[in-house]
Amino acid sequence: MKEIIAVVRMNKTNDTKKALVKAGAAGFTAFKVMGRGKLVDDESVILDRKNKLLALAGDDERDTAVLIDGFLTGERLFPRRLFTVLAHDEDVEEIVNAIIAANRTDNNVGDGKIFVLPVLDAVRVRTGETGESAV
Amino acid sequence: MLLVRAIIRPEKKDEVLAELAKAGFNAATVVDVVGRGKQKGIKIGGIVYDEIPKALLMIATRDEYKEDIVSVILRAAKTSEKGAFGDGKIFISAIDEAYTISTGAKGL
Repeated sequence: MKEIIAVVRMNKTNDTKKALVKAGAAGFTAFKVMGRGKLVDDESVILDRKNKLLALAGDDERDTAVLIDGFLTGERLFPRRLFTVLAHDEDVEEIVNAIIAANRTDNNVGDGKIFVLPVLDAVRVRTGETGESAV
Repeated sequence: MLLVRAIIRPEKKDEVLAELAKAGFNAATVVDVVGRGKQKGIKIGGIVYDEIPKALLMIATRDEYKEDIVSVILRAAKTSEKGAFGDGKIFISAIDEAYTISTGAKGL
């Protein structure tokens, strides 16, 4: 048994849900989290997106550049959706690939992370069965 | 790889995150949670508060940085020299695999 923890963009929640159904793991728990990733060392990977966001902002908005910089380089915390999915060992690869495929964008950074953790035991509350059959 | 889960006081969250970033661990996921510890909550007058707001930090790291991260959190999340009930807990569990979605690359 494995627990798959995926941190994804807020607006990819629906895509991720659909991808999970397709991958055969319809059950999941999701909640809102705040987070940040590694610092961006290379400014060029975020330059395109920064220019696009700056164009959206009005001229009178001060500190916009600072704000956008903070978000894009990873100094600030920003909202993400955290999914936890319980899966049998043999299904992990398919589910991970499905989540990756559903969440990839062209923004170079900020698409999220997936962690796979071992689970020692699980219990289904309704029947009391334990182990693999409870997943 | 390890997943460090730290439950700390919400007012200490910014300080701990700043200290972690200073020590080179920028990445973290933060969740607002409620809970109680061994002390069964706080009793003030006749009222028992057993859903105390806390912040849950989740930090994925390589095995060799475990001690550094834990010591930074221990130092930054502690209130006063001696510490106090309610300062929090740190749990560490194993991560088998990690993926970066934008590249599909395996590993942290």
